[in-house]
Amino acid sequence: MALLEVDDLHLHYAAGDRVVRAVDGVSFVIAGKGEAVGVVGESGSGKSSLANAVMRLLPKGVARFDGSIRLNGRDLTTLSDEAYRREIRWRRIAMVFQGALNVLNPVIRVGDQIAEPLLLDDRVEKRAARARVEGLLERVGLSAAFYGRYPHELSGGQKQRVVIATALVHDPDLLILDEPTSALDVSVQAQIMNLLKDLKEDPGISMLFITHDIGLASDLCDTIAVAYAGEHVEYGPADRVLLEPRHPYTQRLLASLPRLHGAERPRAMPGEPPDATALPLGCRFHPRCPYRFDACDRHPPALPIAADGHARCWLNDREVAGERFETHLPALAVRGG
Amino acid sequence: MGEPPPLVALDDVSVVFRTRSGLFRSSALRAVDGVSLAVTRGETLALVGESGSGKTTLGRVSLRLVAATWGRVSFDGRDVTDVAEEQLGWLRRRAQIVFQDPFSSLNPYMRVAELVGEPLLIDGVRSRQERLERVHRALEAVDLVPAARAAAKYPTAMSGGQRQRVGIARALVRDPEYIVADEPVSMIDASSRIDILDLLRGLQLRRGVAFLYITHDIASARHFADRIAVMHRGAVVELGDAGAVIDRPVHPYTRALIAAVPEPDPANRHRRRAVGGADGADGDFRVVEGCPHGPLPGGRRPVLLDMPGDPGHFVACHVMSAAGATAPG
Repeated sequence: MALLEVDDLHLHYAAGDRVVRAVDGVSFVIAGKGEAVGVVGESGSGKSSLANAVMRLLPKGVARFDGSIRLNGRDLTTLSDEAYRREIRWRRIAMVFQGALNVLNPVIRVGDQIAEPLLLDDRVEKRAARARVEGLLERVGLSAAFYGRYPHELSGGQKQRVVIATALVHDPDLLILDEPTSALDVSVQAQIMNLLKDLKEDPGISMLFITHDIGLASDLCDTIAVAYAGEHVEYGPADRVLLEPRHPYTQRLLASLPRLHGAERPRAMPGEPPDATALPLGCRFHPRCPYRFDACDRHPPALPIAADGHARCWLNDREVAGERFETHLPALAVRGG
Repeated sequence: MGEPPPLVALDDVSVVFRTRSGLFRSSALRAVDGVSLAVTRGETLALVGESGSGKTTLGRVSLRLVAATWGRVSFDGRDVTDVAEEQLGWLRRRAQIVFQDPFSSLNPYMRVAELVGEPLLIDGVRSRQERLERVHRALEAVDLVPAARAAAKYPTAMSGGQRQRVGIARALVRDPEYIVADEPVSMIDASSRIDILDLLRGLQLRRGVAFLYITHDIASARHFADRIAVMHRGAVVELGDAGAVIDRPVHPYTRALIAAVPEPDPANRHRRRAVGGADGADGDFRVVEGCPHGPLPGGRRPVLLDMPGDPGHFVACHVMSAAGATAPG
């Protein structure tokens, strides 16, 4: 039984008389302890909405919310909001929000802020709560002495560590991280990524890592999902997705990244992502796709399921793609190693 | 051989800001600390560093938007350090800036035509027809076509990438020779970044515009700049051809910066990254403490010296100067 199984999840918003399909038929699995799944996408791809859907933190104006989310086999979608709040959110599934550096209360010592849910919700005795928080501070690479500090005394990286400690206070099974390093400098970012790698190992926290940076996802995650226009257009083991992408969007995204070494110049991706309220028919990427053929603007690609993931692209269907299956699909592979 | 003067020259420039601390005290923040740097006509020089390194301040000093506390600033051989603002009209036309944030740097109540045409009004271009033509030329130069259609839009109806093109058109409309591009793509989605950087590179190569490309992304500097200057704590610690700085980094800070870049390379995955300094408790790392070469003798600052056998590659590091590096001639 997998830790988290998300199946055919939809989250649509009403925007006037139109519908934004933020999450549109998304499925993925986080198999067990210490596994990290990365969701990579640009703004508007629906990656943050996915996190909010799993946390069941839904904004007003939801037009459709269905599909199944199973945590250790238990269907969370059938739970009442009250039961979800009491048993799941923060306790089993916790989250670090984007821009979370600003969530700390400036006039409360950071240790007290981390301890708050223990004292208020769990009625843990004060001394025990303090001991637990000091342990957490050490766990995230700070020292127990940080308990009494105020947020303004901390650097950006230290604040992010405090925010991560806050999310870990109930010992959750799953940690959702929404762009946890986007406000940080690269060297501090590397430190936070090192911390996340440590937490994956010990105590074996599983992660859903939301990012626009495929480099970060590659660094941390075992599995990568590439989000585009509300769908996961590609999904599979990280190595496979990076080396043999099966979706042209993944390929173009990788090719557009400037590499440190090697003379190969990054190549621009043509076009712009579609308007979320007026998605193209057929494959949502087809207007920008260099490999499109007659099937692409007619039918949404079927999902050939394989052991090493899937891609929502007609090239992957031998019957539809014909000889393109032999010629174009291998061409998607990026430079090796 | 008589070399022409560099387009922009900074000579031992320092910038000190007074900051209030508490009610009565003030303290001095040395944002830029003794930097000498020249931008050659038609080149792109990348200024790479993290927040607080002084790269934005240095860019603004080069435009005389911020005054140098010490040192000299000159443009095309003319010293502009102490020239009164009223006398700087010529510099305001020949040197421009592109801002980081295309969402807040464009007035949402102005149409693109007005935004891009505004500098021409200031220049006293009276003819509406001439302004319109020049606005359209600038929009075409940044691939916002058809220009007439783009000109009628409001920036709120555009994507981040398109807005940044408007910001670039606004800089281009006066036909400048020098543009400071301050993190021009950091707020734009990955797939549109290369478009913008290709555009800037094209302007450099085709029109001979010199760029100071300020960025925290050293990988992009490799592909879009001719030379890279790495800034740390107000000083340039390494300077050289883009390939040399990235393939043969010498300064420990440059090395740490390069090691911290997460590349989507399967060979490189899950590796703990060496980020210098104390990992963890101290949060931000500072290379002076974290420098593997140990503390600086007598607290002196190392100066930029040419690497032996690698001309044009300069490093500010005591260990390297002890190893026979020489000061630039």
